[in-house]
Amino acid sequence: MSVLTAKPQETDIPRRENWLVAQIRKPQWSPYAAGAMLGLTVALSLLVAGQMPGSSGAFENLIAYVGQKAVPQNIYFKFVMPPGITWQVWLLLGLFLGALASAWLSHDFKWRHVPEKQWVAIFGPQRWKRWTVAFVGGIILEIGAGIAGGCTSGLAISGGVQLAPAAFLFIPGMFISGILTALVIYRKKY
Amino acid sequence: MTTIVVPILIGLAFGWSLHKAGLGKYHKIVNVFRFTDLAVLKYMMSAMVVGVSLIYLFKGLGWLTLAISTPVYALGNFAGGLVFGVGMAAAGF
Repeated sequence: MSVLTAKPQETDIPRRENWLVAQIRKPQWSPYAAGAMLGLTVALSLLVAGQMPGSSGAFENLIAYVGQKAVPQNIYFKFVMPPGITWQVWLLLGLFLGALASAWLSHDFKWRHVPEKQWVAIFGPQRWKRWTVAFVGGIILEIGAGIAGGCTSGLAISGGVQLAPAAFLFIPGMFISGILTALVIYRKKY
Repeated sequence: MTTIVVPILIGLAFGWSLHKAGLGKYHKIVNVFRFTDLAVLKYMMSAMVVGVSLIYLFKGLGWLTLAISTPVYALGNFAGGLVFGVGMAAAGF
């Protein structure tokens, strides 16, 4: 008898889902597990590519095309963040696709115009409010990242793993003003 | 290869971990500043612990020569952080 044909009773047992598949389908992991994955990613990035992953730089490299045309004498776009399809830009593309894949596979993907949790309860469902805050907040965030030399990923984490002093100056600054801003925005609901 | 495929692969892992930590969501980012959900902090610290360990292991094995490529200009790093935090807490990115 062949072994292959001798398992008719398999259908009676409830199929145990593969552990890996279960993790892929899970909409959310423990932040510690997800963070460990990022730590591994950053370390491999430094080892394999000699580069540090960051996400804010790519936006600046892309907008530099416009910025340099508009203000040719601008020093920032000339020297600090020249236009180009840089390593960071490809990383940003991968980042978007990775998050999309994770959302898609865990059935978390949905078109949202306004964050449904918390935002609506506090600020209401108006789209213009969210989009204005998101746009202006995004500009402030990029300016901050431009001054500091990176964002949460590029400076705080990628710098932090190399024990770069800059990261440990940036993190307190970010938390001090973040806490104050949240206090001002949420006031009594803080 | 190293200029396109590698960053895309690293980005895939990065984006995947961000989404799995729930950090694509407005309330996750804002609530770390309200001390009601510390996922951002847990994620960052966990990444740093693993990252530091591995990078210094690689360095110890001689696979990596570490050159801190993040420039230090104390006031700028700190002030930039201050500006950055405002945008982060307001927009929830």
